[in-house]
Amino acid sequence: MDDRPQTNPTTSTNSTNPTNATNEPMNPALQVTSLTKRFGDFTAVDHISFEVQRGEIFGFLGPNGAGKTTTIRMILGLLAPDEGEIEVLGQDVRKDPAGIRPRVGYMSQRFSLYNDLTVLQNLRFYGRAYGLSNRRLEERIAAALELADLKGREHIKTGELSGGWRQRLALGAAILHQPEVIFLDEPTAGVDPVSRRAFWDLLYRLIQQGVTIFVTTHYMDEAEHCHRLAFIQRGRIIALGSPSEIKAQKMSGQILEIACQNPSQAMQVLLNAQKQQLLPVTDIELYGAMIHIVTPQPKAAGERIAALLSENHIALESIQTIEPTLEDVFIAAMSA
Amino acid sequence: MKRILALVKKEFIHLRNDWWLPAFMLIGGMMELVLVAWATSRPITNLPLVVVDYDRSAASRAFVQALENTGTFDFQGYAPDEESVRQALTRGEINTAVIIPPDYSLQIHDPRGQAQVAVLLNGAESIPATEARRAIEGVAYALNQKLVIERLGLPADEFSSFAFSMRVWFNETLKDAYYTTPAEFGLMLEFTALLFAALAFTRERELGTLEQLLVMPFSSADLIIGKAIPVVIIGYSDFLLMLLLLRYIFKLPIRGSLLLLLIVAFGYLLVELSKGLVISVVARTQHQAFLLVMLVGMTDFMFTGYAAPVEGMPLAFQWLANFIPAHHWLTILRGILLKGAGLDVLWPNLLALAVLGAVITFFSLRYVRRVLD
Repeated sequence: MDDRPQTNPTTSTNSTNPTNATNEPMNPALQVTSLTKRFGDFTAVDHISFEVQRGEIFGFLGPNGAGKTTTIRMILGLLAPDEGEIEVLGQDVRKDPAGIRPRVGYMSQRFSLYNDLTVLQNLRFYGRAYGLSNRRLEERIAAALELADLKGREHIKTGELSGGWRQRLALGAAILHQPEVIFLDEPTAGVDPVSRRAFWDLLYRLIQQGVTIFVTTHYMDEAEHCHRLAFIQRGRIIALGSPSEIKAQKMSGQILEIACQNPSQAMQVLLNAQKQQLLPVTDIELYGAMIHIVTPQPKAAGERIAALLSENHIALESIQTIEPTLEDVFIAAMSA
Repeated sequence: MKRILALVKKEFIHLRNDWWLPAFMLIGGMMELVLVAWATSRPITNLPLVVVDYDRSAASRAFVQALENTGTFDFQGYAPDEESVRQALTRGEINTAVIIPPDYSLQIHDPRGQAQVAVLLNGAESIPATEARRAIEGVAYALNQKLVIERLGLPADEFSSFAFSMRVWFNETLKDAYYTTPAEFGLMLEFTALLFAALAFTRERELGTLEQLLVMPFSSADLIIGKAIPVVIIGYSDFLLMLLLLRYIFKLPIRGSLLLLLIVAFGYLLVELSKGLVISVVARTQHQAFLLVMLVGMTDFMFTGYAAPVEGMPLAFQWLANFIPAHHWLTILRGILLKGAGLDVLWPNLLALAVLGAVITFFSLRYVRRVLD
């Protein structure tokens, strides 16, 4: 845990990746153009376009059913798109879905290993499936076991491992053949917070080795860990960029965090005032015991709020401008 | 090649871990065969028989004695009245009841008399009932002939009438076991291959690992071959074990060419395997796959002539039977085992099986490949 990487990489990291410098000008890891998939009348993915640079962690965010898995399945050639182009590492996936397979890794939403096989048996099967020679296989297995911290557990049946271990083993298996890009579909769904944290640490270790990571998630806190991200809702990308870019683009205003007594009563007061257009605010949300207010004029709004609350005999504890979280941004973007 | 080997290796680890399935495949088929062979190996004897004798004469006792002598019945004793017989039949305690009226001996001895007995059979169990009827008709026929000769006043020992000589070929003693066991044998091979293959991809789909396999650099042909090899190995071992069992424990003859049998069995195994693989990519769950196997298997079963001869079916069905591989397979299997038939006789069935098999296998595998791609 001593080498924990920065947790909020907001700058573009292309230049920080050592492997990029040694290679000739490269195609982006992934380029998606106007990708569309319809299921009958329902458009699951609606003309989405984005690019993933090599060496970055690209987050693909959105609520359940937004089209994340459909997109990942199309990128991997498991599902034929209705429209659009997909290039992975410069190769056209629609023309030759099998062509990229040796160069990418995939960890599906459902657990992708065999529970009745031991840790070692699973890894051996993966390695041999990718055609690794015996010597390289043993080397890579040792590296995967080290990465997943599973040394000494090689002969345990995979089904007997706890959720967090299994997740790490699945990641270890997915990178066994040293893919250039790995696709992770909701890798941390249903895993406890500590294991999620450890899993993200592994992802940072991987990008240091020059791997590109495409990860879908619906956890907002994980979005902050991505270099760049796309937010998808009802099949459309509604925000795209680095976390700080998205915050700047999508937040038309600042966030005031209010702590007061009886926040639910305060909410009523503030919402009424907003309705009567007495408050220069665009959004009011209850945030735990706090109230978050989005406003283009933080100073004026703060003064109005203090006045309103004291008129209604609600004791104000503090009011301050805070940095918006991605969650604030997405809620604002989704309701826009 | 290396990839296929990796897949086969993995499949065998599954089989070792989940030993229940291969054990069922190997032992289950043999157990079924043993049961069928034993259950049908003896002629039907010892059917429980009860008699209500209102006559209580020498003649009536002679009739009962004649029934006992057939060996088909196990005489349980006399019942007091018809009501008790009715109850015993309903409860299933007896299969056959004979009621002899009070004037039986009177009518026998009267040159113009008509002696009657009533016979009650338990038709709910039709096979024993048919057997009982055959035995009773035999006794009645002999008695009738004797009576006629007596009444005509001819000397019984000088009398000769129509006689016929019957010879049964291929199954000289008309052992039911010779008919049912090869049929069961042939069907067990079908079910083993079909069920085992049907689980191939369904299992992976249910576990969620199919997607992973599809993303790996396996071609669809790799996947099919990798999944087929364990089915072929287990299915063919099952076939050989069952063949040994029949040959050496149940002394079933193999009168034709063993080599031909081994080759045809292998080809037939591949046909059923490819049908099974179609089921395995169509079914969403193992449960569905199992039900589909039962559906396909039972349809084939109907056309094997096991339950009812195909020749007795409506014409449309007889015509349809020509398109069922299992029908030809069983014809060939019986031909080789019992009739010692060779290519000269079996060629139409062999040709039909080869053509049907090639067509089914081709389209099945093409379909499976499409789904996997």
